[in-house]
Amino acid sequence: MLRAILKREILEHLISPKFLIGIVIATALMATSTIMNLANYRQRQQDYLDAQREMRGDRVTTSIFRSPQTLSVFVQGLDRKLGSQMKVDSMRIPARLSGFMGEYVSGNPRLSSGFETVDLAFVVRVVLSLMVIFLAYSSVSEEKLHGTLRLVLSNSVPRDQLLMGKFLGGLLVILGSMLASAFLSILLVALSRAMPLGMADWARIAGMLGISALYLICFYTCSLFVSVLVNRPSIALMVLLQIWIFFVVIYPNLSIVIAESVYRLPTQEEVSRMKQAAFQPYNAEYRKVMQDIRQGYSSPKGPDKDVSSRMMELLSLRAESEYKVDQDFNRRLSEQVRLAHSIAVLSPAVLYDIAMTRLARTDLIDYERFMTGVLPLWHADVERTKLLYKDVRAYRRATVPPFSYVPETLAGSFGAAALQGSILLFFGILFFVLAYTSFLRKDVR
Amino acid sequence: MGTIIKRELLDHLQSIQFLVLTAASLVLFAGNAIVFVRSFREETAAFSLRVTETDRQSSTAATELNKRPNALRFIADGGDRYRPSGYTLRPGGRLEPLPAGQINYKMLDVPELDWSFLIAVVFSLYVILLGFNAISGEKELGTLRLVLSNPVSRVELLAAKFIAILMIVMVPLLMGGLVSLTIIGIYQPQVLNLAHLSRMVVVLPLALFFLAVFALLSLCISSLVSRSSVVLLLILAIWVILAVIVPNTSGILAERFSRAQSEFQMARMVGPLIQKQVFDRIKAILARAEKGEFPSAAAMKQEGDKAYDEGQKDLVRHYENYEAAMKQRAGLARALSRLSPTGLFQFALEDIVRAGNSREEDFVRDARNYSQQYDEYILKKVGRLVRTSNFSFAVSADVKGEMVRLDSPSPQEYTGDKSDFPRFQESQPSLMQGVQNAMWDMAGLLVWVIILAVLAFMSFLRTDVR
Repeated sequence: MLRAILKREILEHLISPKFLIGIVIATALMATSTIMNLANYRQRQQDYLDAQREMRGDRVTTSIFRSPQTLSVFVQGLDRKLGSQMKVDSMRIPARLSGFMGEYVSGNPRLSSGFETVDLAFVVRVVLSLMVIFLAYSSVSEEKLHGTLRLVLSNSVPRDQLLMGKFLGGLLVILGSMLASAFLSILLVALSRAMPLGMADWARIAGMLGISALYLICFYTCSLFVSVLVNRPSIALMVLLQIWIFFVVIYPNLSIVIAESVYRLPTQEEVSRMKQAAFQPYNAEYRKVMQDIRQGYSSPKGPDKDVSSRMMELLSLRAESEYKVDQDFNRRLSEQVRLAHSIAVLSPAVLYDIAMTRLARTDLIDYERFMTGVLPLWHADVERTKLLYKDVRAYRRATVPPFSYVPETLAGSFGAAALQGSILLFFGILFFVLAYTSFLRKDVR
Repeated sequence: MGTIIKRELLDHLQSIQFLVLTAASLVLFAGNAIVFVRSFREETAAFSLRVTETDRQSSTAATELNKRPNALRFIADGGDRYRPSGYTLRPGGRLEPLPAGQINYKMLDVPELDWSFLIAVVFSLYVILLGFNAISGEKELGTLRLVLSNPVSRVELLAAKFIAILMIVMVPLLMGGLVSLTIIGIYQPQVLNLAHLSRMVVVLPLALFFLAVFALLSLCISSLVSRSSVVLLLILAIWVILAVIVPNTSGILAERFSRAQSEFQMARMVGPLIQKQVFDRIKAILARAEKGEFPSAAAMKQEGDKAYDEGQKDLVRHYENYEAAMKQRAGLARALSRLSPTGLFQFALEDIVRAGNSREEDFVRDARNYSQQYDEYILKKVGRLVRTSNFSFAVSADVKGEMVRLDSPSPQEYTGDKSDFPRFQESQPSLMQGVQNAMWDMAGLLVWVIILAVLAFMSFLRTDVR
């Protein structure tokens, strides 16, 4: 019996215009966005490789480059926004990465177009979730309206089997269309051979598909519940659209607005005051050494070596103390982001985004892991620079160890994304149970 | 026709749909006002602090041009949050952007929940929900046949339905706007001055104009297709494309199709350029110094300054090229999002409340005009205009037994009386100018309205009401 219902449901969905429109938009968008993102990734990867080769920096400054994330083709996340290079010397450690044009030029936001990007995650989050609502809103309410529900149930079909059949039929269609459009995107990437996808990457992609499925199931069971609850299909659809626009469009933005107004950040003036205060203990000495150096320059011998060495030490001390203030500020920024995430914990769209970017390593976590490598590198650079005043030959021989960082392991990403996944699953099950119980109690007349 | 409008209005007013929309819009508008009131106070304080600081310093080496916070930001932000809070002006007209106000670069960039967003996304969706079953719903219930058997012309019926939708959507819009303005009026009364209010008055017809596009779209498809659910599906598909996908894809499309070089390709040229244009010249000077060609240290310094001044011209041009390419790309993105009425509405609104790209361009123009005054002032006081760029150098050479430092010249600070220091004033274009700027976008909206109106009436006149 279940099979017959299942078959009927699937066939009905497949011949419906809503399925056709949804799948056409989803696949078209998926294909174009993948092609664009792929071209963009290639460009960035090429730039990264060229930069590593050509812009190693001179003896004084050390350049660090961040490679684009492979899976940013599917989930852009923050990957492009967070920058690609940093220039470190003994006197300065920038608090964040910048674009290749350097901190002062790349940072000009006037020039960015200011739009979001479209990727696999976007298509699932916006287009497919909408399609899910369309497929599911009418499954019970329309049959009730047309009276066919009464007809079906007057046969020897148990209610639970009917609902199960409807649920599974819709689920198969939805997951099928999600997998089909995602598969197209993955195929385009695999065929282009722009990037080597290792076993871990494939596992991540599988995880991303799993999270996408959970996200869509969440919307699907919610729509089913509303469809059971509301008798008129048009009302059911309106209720669902309102839920959709609130949870996908408004709530995520609102959570950021709330987080930004609740969690205050120190102003730029306050930050620079803190920086001055941090260097305060050395200020007197700094002024004195500075004077000595000036005097040294006017003498024919040039400044004393010990004085220059102390100057360099003071400058690096200042760099480090300023960096600590910046780090503290950065920590607050991350806390603000976390606050926004926890405010948005009820929005499936935000949960989905968090899990997807974690799996694709295009979130803040990976960036922060990268940034932890900066300070050790800087210390090595300072040690090398100190040699300049002791032993010039040793300085020339010394090299700064190459920059390295440990990206998050597969298990780590999966473990973290499991939290969001399980919340999504919880919502899915919750709505399913609600739909199920209210269908059993439903008056079919 | 009056009776039809009345009936339609009553129908809509009773619906749950209307209640939900009104409640939601009141909450969103109020929230928007509360956030604005708080941030505007801080921005204004920071702005006046920076302005007094600039005035106190009155430096001839570099001066800051600060952007006045936009008092109408709650209507349309236009991405101003992410734009520089002003520019540092250096002698010779070089502008360096100051960091934007407080933004968290670790957060995803999201549009502000301002009026333009609420109208463009939320209200357009509600117009669709109000209008999708206007014809098809009545056809399904059979009341359309009944209505048209009375002496009512089809054109009248459709026009009445159209007017009713717009009137209904105006209720939450006006109520939300009033709530928003009340909150702002209580905490920041200076925002509600005559100039700002007159701009706000223009916002309403513009919003209705924009919403009319979606109302007509719904009516058009509603009379073409007979099943309400299919109507809604089609309209929503179009809505998703116009309000969500086109604005989002225009950025990546522009990036793909503008011929701007990548940032890295531009950056890799800087090093060789400096080498060729400056350091090679300096090297030549040092070689001449070694041969003892310079009679004095001053003569050598003069040569060094000349080399720096000439050498950086190419460098400045290079940076300008980069900026121009980026601007062109952003312009292309804007042009692409103008394909959608949402884009047209956003840009028209930005022009009217002076936000977004047009304001930025005005500001840069003002800054360029001011830089001429500034340069004249420096010439008058200091007598020399030293142009700088983002890099500097320092070498030393031996001239006649004396170590001479040769470094990039830096602008001189005038230490005398600076009471006649020119003040920077941002120009205040009138509302008419804003409307003029928005003219093309409004014309685009008009084209949408006309085409959809013709289509809606044609398809309704030909529709089979049986």
